[in-house]
Amino acid sequence: MQILRKTNQKAYFKALELGQRKLIELLKLKGLAGRGGANFPTWQKWEMVMNTPSNEKYVITNADEGEPGTFKDKFIIKHNPELIIEGILIAAYVVNAKKAYIYLRGEYEYLENKLKKAIKQIKQKTGAKTEIEIVIGQGAYVCGDETAIISSIEGKRGNPRYKPPFPTTKGLFEKPTLINNVETLANVPLAILYSNWNPDLRLFSLSGNVSKPGVYELPSGTKISKLMHLGKPKNKIKAVYFGCFGGCMPYSHDIILSPEHICGKECMLGACTVIAVDENQSIVDLATNIAKFYEFESCGKCTPCREGTMRIMNLLENISLKNAKIEDLNTLQELAEVIRDTSLCGLGQTATQHLITALKYFRREFEERVKEKKNRRRIAR
Amino acid sequence: MKIRIDKKEIECDPNRSILLIARDNGINIPTLCYQEGLEPEARCRLCLVEINKKLVTSCSTYPKEGMEVLTDTEKVKKARIINAELLMPEHMEKCFRENKEHDLCRIISEMGLKEVRFNPTRKYKAELGAAVLRNNNLCINCGRCVKVCADVQATWAIDFAERAHHEHVTPYFEKELADMYCTKCGQCIAACPVGAISEREHLKEVIKVLKDKKKTVIVQTAPSIRASLGEEFNLPPGTLVTGKMVAALRKCGFKKVFDTDLGADMTIMEEAAELLERVKKGRPFPMITTCCPAWIKFMEHFYHDLVPNMSTCKSPHEMLGVLTKTYYAKQAKINPKKIIVVSVMPCTAKKFESTRPELKSMVDYVLTTREAAKLIKHFKVDFKNLKDEDFDPALGVSTGAGVIFGATGGVMEAALRTAYEAATGKQLTKIEFDQLRGMDGIKQGTIILKGKEIKFAAANGLHNARELLKRKNDYHFIEIMACPGGCINGGGQPLPFAWEKIRKRMQAIYEQDAKLPLRKSHENPVVQKIYKEFLEKPLSKKSHKLLHTKYYKREL
Repeated sequence: MQILRKTNQKAYFKALELGQRKLIELLKLKGLAGRGGANFPTWQKWEMVMNTPSNEKYVITNADEGEPGTFKDKFIIKHNPELIIEGILIAAYVVNAKKAYIYLRGEYEYLENKLKKAIKQIKQKTGAKTEIEIVIGQGAYVCGDETAIISSIEGKRGNPRYKPPFPTTKGLFEKPTLINNVETLANVPLAILYSNWNPDLRLFSLSGNVSKPGVYELPSGTKISKLMHLGKPKNKIKAVYFGCFGGCMPYSHDIILSPEHICGKECMLGACTVIAVDENQSIVDLATNIAKFYEFESCGKCTPCREGTMRIMNLLENISLKNAKIEDLNTLQELAEVIRDTSLCGLGQTATQHLITALKYFRREFEERVKEKKNRRRIAR
Repeated sequence: MKIRIDKKEIECDPNRSILLIARDNGINIPTLCYQEGLEPEARCRLCLVEINKKLVTSCSTYPKEGMEVLTDTEKVKKARIINAELLMPEHMEKCFRENKEHDLCRIISEMGLKEVRFNPTRKYKAELGAAVLRNNNLCINCGRCVKVCADVQATWAIDFAERAHHEHVTPYFEKELADMYCTKCGQCIAACPVGAISEREHLKEVIKVLKDKKKTVIVQTAPSIRASLGEEFNLPPGTLVTGKMVAALRKCGFKKVFDTDLGADMTIMEEAAELLERVKKGRPFPMITTCCPAWIKFMEHFYHDLVPNMSTCKSPHEMLGVLTKTYYAKQAKINPKKIIVVSVMPCTAKKFESTRPELKSMVDYVLTTREAAKLIKHFKVDFKNLKDEDFDPALGVSTGAGVIFGATGGVMEAALRTAYEAATGKQLTKIEFDQLRGMDGIKQGTIILKGKEIKFAAANGLHNARELLKRKNDYHFIEIMACPGGCINGGGQPLPFAWEKIRKRMQAIYEQDAKLPLRKSHENPVVQKIYKEFLEKPLSKKSHKLLHTKYYKREL
């Protein structure tokens, strides 16, 4: 696997040799893009922070991997933490940051020591002065949003805020801040050091109704059948979810796993999460479960997300418990679209993606459930 | 910079948000969470507009050259209505049907939303308290109260707790406002767009005593009421309604209508004497005014080391309450026990003040401006067409110095007018202290008293108070008013809040001052008479007993 290659801190020294400007040129040439889900060119973000004048700047590593079904960052932290730390040091050098934070997901607290060890080791070997602090999140999904991370590190309630100003100009403690995903930063040293580094190789987190779930490294643009072949599903796969926020689509062997191909169909590949759903599962029950997750995780700041996710959950629960009317499906659709279009942060904007796509591709299941009146059955949890 | 809003080309300032630019150009965009002067939070998501086929909140979006903004498309309207619908369930029964006059209901009726598909879900306990009450069931989490409390008042009494739809505004550990360091300034009431926060009403009690034939019910009105009460009767902001107000209150059944301005004049006499005494002694400086009960409570919680610096004067309406039940009762030969004193104040903190045990308040009920208007409406008085009447002369003669108490810097100005003349024996050539006027957060200046340079400063808004107190040792005399702009923007004043209104009220206050023949407290004949017949002189033993009080350290 590319991500498990070791660099022995050579990339850091090469970076010092190259200097800041040339390094950014190099990253531009190599085509490294953000791996958190937005695919924003990494060099561009770095350049923005570098060019913002300030005597204090920060680098934050987003290790708050809260998306259901995503576990690629955990994999990297577990198996190659040195690479991340080296990436952080290089980023801090490029943007002139004296302090870096790793915002670690609360559930990954057991990996803290591993990171600490790596920090100590790499700093010793490279002699870098950048201070790296690990901040443990307290379990809020919304803290995967970069502005919420900033509030959380500042010691405030982990609420997102509107952009602009973007963190690159006014971030942590109102200073220019670079926020990158773990996978992005881990790829930085590899991209710098190895000429055969492949920007298309992505880590896919595969889970769901498969017998071999896990992290698979495949080039972006691979057909989904190849990934499923590795996952070995027991039954016929009916649908795939690209994480909760990415939405779902009916399974076909020809789905091409690349952002460009999937985004056209109202779904988002995001952080390359694939959840396989086989024929024994009900999309309505799944939608109810996911709606519960968002209802629980909404931060409560903006109206559509706070009130809307709750109303959606109630409506879906009614549908799964078979005491809904057919008009409720229209209400669901309307609400889901408004929540997507008008929410403040990424959480709200994507919280109903699963429902919008489910209603588009699997509306029949919802309609059938509404029509069935008897035979009440508990929702699968 | 030029942008296009609804296909109309508009020249605009790049530092103003789309919402404000639209407002400047007469385009109405509904919003609940945006308040003038506060940083936008973009919580309510009602001020949506369409830019590049995307919906964005106009309060947090700034113009870019050639931007095309649409405020009236079907997409915008639908999204606004659904977001408003999500906020409405709790308001359906209470406000929607009764057509209450707060922002949410106004916006809803403008949008044409008739039916809400959702049921109410909020189940919070309503709060009890002496001054400010919150009903979390009506709250829509717009965050204006939290923002005002933190950014303007720097008190941080309330904040959000929990998340998702369990998120609600609360004091720490779900305490009640009554048991914690809330200053009761009532700015959150003015900020609330849905009436979830309100003052503790004393209307029923007042109406009851007004019907009681055995009691002599006397009312007094604060200086700023005359500049704001008219708004409740659809008169333009800044209309002086002194005469109509007096007439209306008499129609309600009050036996006497006194003017708190006289209490203010008494405060000035005492305070100016106190200042001169401290100048003579050389300490303790700075001396700080105590007319504002919200500031007093704030001081007792956060700045109790300043207790020796505080003037010991009671607030004007308390002074007048005392004088009504002692001096006036004796003069008019009424048993003080049968007198009921009602104060009409722009303030919610005064309600709390009158319950302070050490004060042994002689004011029985405090009404806010809003309550006074309700009272007048209750007695079906045709306010607009009333003939002007004068205050009862026994305790109703006022000076310009008393009137300007209503605006920030006014107490200081009034005190300096008197202190200067008492110290020097000379007439002031220019009676207006311009450096103390206007809406600035902190105002300052100097004056020579008894050969000593006295530096004075006035702060309004408790955030500014904190700023001023950081350099308190530079000053000799400090005035602090808890509400931004002073009492004219008190927590009991007519809603909704708008800076433009506050400015107009301030203008009206200074206009009234300029119009009055007497403009200095010590020239007030009734004040002179009270000292001659009753109190001897400022700071005498008797006045200490009656007109002064003390303060405590309070826990946070």
